Amino acid sequence: MSRVALGLNANIAVGLTRVASWAVRSLGAGDGGVLPGRILLRLYPDAITELSRSLPCVIVSGTNAKTTTTALAKEALSGSFEVVSNTTGANMEGGVACALALQAGRSLERSIGVFEVDEAYLPVIAPQLETKVVALLNLSRDQLDRVSETRLTSAKWRAFLEEHPAVKVVANCDDPLVVFAANGSASVLWVSAGLNFVQDARSCPTCGGEIDFSKSRWFCSCGFSRPEPDVEVDGKIISVCGKTVEAELALPGSCNVSNAAMVLGICEVLGVDIDSAARRMSYVAEVAGRYKRVNIDGHSVRMLLSKNPAGWVEVFDMVGNDPSVVVAINAQIADGRDPSWLWDVPFEQLFGREVFASGERAFDLSVRLHYAGISHRVVKDPLEAIRSCRCGEVSFVGNYTSFQALRRQLKNKDQPVLTEIRRLADRILR
Amino acid sequence: MSDTIRVVSVLPDLLGTYGDSGNAIVASKRLALRGYQVELINAGLKDGIPSGGDFYFVGGGEDGPQSKAAELLRVDAVVERALESGAGLLAVCAGFQILGESFIGPNLKPQAGIGLFSCRTHRFDGPRSVGELIVEPVGSLAGLPLLTGYENHQGVTELLPGAVPLGGVLVGNGNNFEGRSDGAVLGRAIGTYMHGPVFARNPALCDHFLSLVLGELAPLGAIPLEEAHRALYDERISEVYKP
Ligand SMILES: [Zn+2]
Repeated sequence: MSRVALGLNANIAVGLTRVASWAVRSLGAGDGGVLPGRILLRLYPDAITELSRSLPCVIVSGTNAKTTTTALAKEALSGSFEVVSNTTGANMEGGVACALALQAGRSLERSIGVFEVDEAYLPVIAPQLETKVVALLNLSRDQLDRVSETRLTSAKWRAFLEEHPAVKVVANCDDPLVVFAANGSASVLWVSAGLNFVQDARSCPTCGGEIDFSKSRWFCSCGFSRPEPDVEVDGKIISVCGKTVEAELALPGSCNVSNAAMVLGICEVLGVDIDSAARRMSYVAEVAGRYKRVNIDGHSVRMLLSKNPAGWVEVFDMVGNDPSVVVAINAQIADGRDPSWLWDVPFEQLFGREVFASGERAFDLSVRLHYAGISHRVVKDPLEAIRSCRCGEVSFVGNYTSFQALRRQLKNKDQPVLTEIRRLADRILR
Repeated sequence: MSDTIRVVSVLPDLLGTYGDSGNAIVASKRLALRGYQVELINAGLKDGIPSGGDFYFVGGGEDGPQSKAAELLRVDAVVERALESGAGLLAVCAGFQILGESFIGPNLKPQAGIGLFSCRTHRFDGPRSVGELIVEPVGSLAGLPLLTGYENHQGVTELLPGAVPLGGVLVGNGNNFEGRSDGAVLGRAIGTYMHGPVFARNPALCDHFLSLVLGELAPLGAIPLEEAHRALYDERISEVYKP
């Protein structure tokens, strides 16, 4: 049978994880993935391998859009499978382990795992799972103090695929660093999912020469070039190996149509009907608090998360007509400690709007905005900045921890003690 | 000679990984605010590096592109000739390494650099140097306020006899662990490990650099831009440096 049999200690560890996850969530202190997962792995280091026995898995990785693509994939596949997933952005070992623990003991028949995995952790986590499909989205600069430079990540992905020839790959053919990695596999479905930020891909990963992006298909004089896509996007129409569907998404921005195209690529490889997959994806209106509008003291606030220059290109697309924009920048470990990347973001595009510089590194942002010619005010607390907006329609754009902090603030406006409990637990585990 | 000041960002498509292109933006704007006509040139891979610039900026990047950039910088010795005819140069991290006598190529073998700065960069086998950096300027830069930045590199740079560092390291690693120094200064050329970008973090260093080529510059006064710089500078110093 496919039910996983666990030893006594493992059962206790899994039980504890569930309790911890429930506690974290019901206290409103987080999404309940990272901390319980870390406890589980501390007690039970083989948890990922043991708990995922006979569970076929899809892994979604890349610098940007992992969480959104995973959420869309979870929805798209839910018509054909019971889906086990870490849809809250907890994408290192702890997050995957926790998602598995929460379903442990259930029958895994007709189940599939869909996991978002940090780009640096892909070669670590994928071998611990029964990985069937890997979806590779994009690679660009992000958290350079923690994640290695993009070329190294691409080479590590490639080495993993070379060592695991049975893994099928769904890859973005518009990103040369993704193509370099995917070429380590003999079984690739290519998706034209776009490349927002060319800067990190200018020099050829094969020969070091210059890649020519002037035509619709990029190429290098050494012969390395964009593969012909199997999946393409034209406005809202996505064609998948000759079949077409219309993506009527509730999520804003053209980048999300590209994310949906990646998901349809996954569906095609798994033999899931793309029409019903597309219909299911249209139900997704928010992803771990992102994209949705929330009411904050009379302001209608679109919640956006962007952590690096490539992500910002998408944000400018989604801010739409909102006359006020609050940008909150932190530089904690999960954000990357160095906010130098702000200088690679064309903030000039915010011209004409009311702009607030916010977050723990509001001063770095403020200097950057001055040089971009954007008049703005500095209000370090994002909630206060939102309240100070002149207009009703506001876009809030935070990087990772500033976004999470605002969500928590909104959830437990009257429960500051919970933040303290969480901080304490974090310290004990570290 | 035209009146326009030419600011050249050298190969930002190869050496633009760590936001160092901000240095050229900061320098250009601070010149424009003082009434200079400024042309900011982003000299990419296919454009080639123009001669006749007044300021050259070389930033940090990844190992493969770094080695490619060294190859391109060697062609026609554009930067050395510009320096001889009075230009200024700021080189950060990977850019600083390739302007030394040797650095480590992507194959982990030593590779010849441009040889402008008297230093050699080796690969450090221990952990990468990552974190905030506070540097006390020395030599011709003594008297400037403490400098703040962010370092992120695997290299260890050994200054050869006669080389002058940018400053002494108070927080972080800089060139190496023993020497407690960061970067190098040679005439109007400055090398450093400080990202941030370093001129956005330290406008006083930017103005000093500009004055090396253009002579004394008037202060910008209490404009909002300078107040923003002040707030950032004070915050970084007080968060990072506890004497
Ligand atoms: Zn090539």
